[in-house]
Amino acid sequence: MSYYMYDNTTEVTPMERMMAALNGEKRDRVPVHIYPRWSSLEYLGVTFRQAWENPDLYVKAQILAQERFQYDCTIDYDMMGPVEEAIGAKLKYPENDVPQIAEPFIKTKDDMKTARWKLDPRKDGNMPKVLYVVRTLKDALIKRGKGKQRVPIMTWGSCPSRTAACLTGFKQWFLILARDPDWALELMELAMDGWLRMVIAAWEEGADCVWVNDPVSAGDCISRKHYETLTQPFQRKFIEAIRYHTGMRILMHPCGNWHDRMDLVYQNQADGYFLGPMDIKMCVDRAVETNAAGLSRVKCISGNVGAATKSTTDGVTPLPYTTTMDKGTPAQIEEECRIVIQTVEEAGFRSILGPNCWETPRTPYVNRDTMVYAARKHGQYK
Amino acid sequence: MSILDDIRKSVYSGEDVRAVELVEAALQEGLDPHDILDNALLKGIQDCGKAYEEGVMWIPELLLASEAMKASINILKPRMVGGITGENAPRAVLATVEGDVHDIGVELVGVMLESAGFNVRFLGGNVPTEDIIEAVKDFKPHILGLSTLLSNTMYVVPKILERLKEEKLRTTVKIMVGGAPIRQEFCEEVGADGYAYDAVEAVPVAKKLV
Repeated sequence: MSYYMYDNTTEVTPMERMMAALNGEKRDRVPVHIYPRWSSLEYLGVTFRQAWENPDLYVKAQILAQERFQYDCTIDYDMMGPVEEAIGAKLKYPENDVPQIAEPFIKTKDDMKTARWKLDPRKDGNMPKVLYVVRTLKDALIKRGKGKQRVPIMTWGSCPSRTAACLTGFKQWFLILARDPDWALELMELAMDGWLRMVIAAWEEGADCVWVNDPVSAGDCISRKHYETLTQPFQRKFIEAIRYHTGMRILMHPCGNWHDRMDLVYQNQADGYFLGPMDIKMCVDRAVETNAAGLSRVKCISGNVGAATKSTTDGVTPLPYTTTMDKGTPAQIEEECRIVIQTVEEAGFRSILGPNCWETPRTPYVNRDTMVYAARKHGQYK
Repeated sequence: MSILDDIRKSVYSGEDVRAVELVEAALQEGLDPHDILDNALLKGIQDCGKAYEEGVMWIPELLLASEAMKASINILKPRMVGGITGENAPRAVLATVEGDVHDIGVELVGVMLESAGFNVRFLGGNVPTEDIIEAVKDFKPHILGLSTLLSNTMYVVPKILERLKEEKLRTTVKIMVGGAPIRQEFCEEVGADGYAYDAVEAVPVAKKLV
C-alpha cells in the first residue's frame, strides 16, 4: 500500500481504523485525527460565523475536507458554549472564532439561583443546533459512504471545572478555588449536568466517540493538591457518567502542561488522552505505570505534535517536538509524527496522530497532508 | 521578626485582611510608606513570582497575593508624595488584544511590573485597537504589553503595530508580546521588541527594554 495522498484505503475505513485505536486495537495503520475545524472551514472558504449561522455549511465543510485531507475523524460544532449559554451566560460571537463568554455570569453565590441548571438539549438555547449538526453529518456520511458510515463523528464535552470557570470568569474561578473550595465543588456539581445531557443527546443523534477537555487545571494554573482534591474527581465523575450512559469511547484532553500530575490525569478513566505540548516519553511512561498499577485504563494516546509552548519543560532539556503546525516544515512535522508514533506504539498503546491542541488556523495544506503522510509511512502495522 | 517581614509574609500568603492591618500598624509606628512598599509589599510579591517560577505557587495563590498587595497599596497611596512609583518611574500599558477576553496572564504581568517599580496602566481584556492607541498617546508608556491567548487573535498584534506607525508612535514605545500561542519567532516576525513566556519572565525583559 502506498502512503501518498489521495490513495484512500478501501480495505479499512476511517471508522474502523479510529474505533479500533480507541479500543486499543490495531487495524491497518495509525489513524489521524486533527480535530478538523479550521481545515474544514478554510477548505470551504467560510468563516466560523458563516458556518454557525448555516449548520448545513458546517456539515458540508466537514464532509468535503475529510475527503480532501483524508484524516480519520470528523467533529461536530465542538468547543462551543451552548450549555453555558443555556445556563444563562452571555456569549460573544466573533467573526471567525468560537464564541467566548462576554462577561462572567456567576459573580456571587446568589447568581447561582438565577442560573438554569436543568437543561433540555433538544429545546434550550443553541443546543438543538449542535444536535442538528450531529444528525445531519451522520446522514451525510452514510449517504457519501453509499449506505455505510465510513468516517466517525467525534462530539465534545466540557469538564465541570472548565464549565464552572466559563461561568464565573477564569480569574474569579481561581480565587474561588483558593478562598472557597466548597463553593467550587458546588459549582462543578451543578455545572456537570448540562454537558452530560448534551453529550448523551449527541450520542443519541449519532456521535460515535467523544473528547472532553480541561484547560484550567494544568500545572501552570493550579497546584497538584487543588487538582487532586477539587477538579480531578469531577473530571472522573464526568467521564464515568458519559461511559455509563452512552458506552462511547472517550478521549480526554489535558490542555497545556500537566507534567507534574499525569499520574492523576490518567486516573480519571478516559480510554485515551489527547496530549498537549508535553514530553511524550514521560507521558507514555506514566500511562504504563498507572495501567500496571490498575489505576487507569489508557488504551490510546492522541495529539502531541506541534507544540506552541516553551521548547523545554524543565528549563534545560530541549524538546524535540516543538514545531508549530502552521510554522513548521513538512520534514519537521513528519519527524515529530514519527517520534510520537514510535514512542506510543512501542509502549503498547495505540497512537492516534494529531496536533497538540486545537488545529491552528492558517496551517498550510501541505502540513496537514504531512500528518496523514506520516501515519501512512511510519504508522503501518505489519 | 519585624513588622515589615510580617507584611511581606502576609502578602506572600495572600492574607489581605492581615496585610492591611499590618500596614496600618506600621504607619502608626511611624514607618515611611516608601519603606513599607519597597521592603515589605514589593518583596512579598517578588517572593510570589519566584515561587511561581519554581513551581511551588500557582495562579490562585498569585491572585490572592495580588489582592493583598492591592488592598495594602490602597492604604499607602494617600500618604505617598508623587504616587506609588514616583513620577520618574518607567510606565507600561498592558492589554489583551481585541477579540480575546482572557486577561489573567496580562494582569499578573501588571502585578509583577508594579512590583519591579513600573507605573502600570492595565486596560484589561478584549481591548479595541483604537483604545490601545489612545492609551499610548495619553499615558506615554515606555512599554506596551500585548497579550493574546487565542491563536486567532495573535494576528491583531501586527495590526496594532501598524496603527502605531501610522500615528507616528511606534518609535516612542517598546512593544512586548506574550500569551499561549506566542513565541519568540512571532515576536521577531511582527517586529515587536520583546517576548516573555510568563509574568515572571516579563520583568527582566521589560527592564532591559526601558
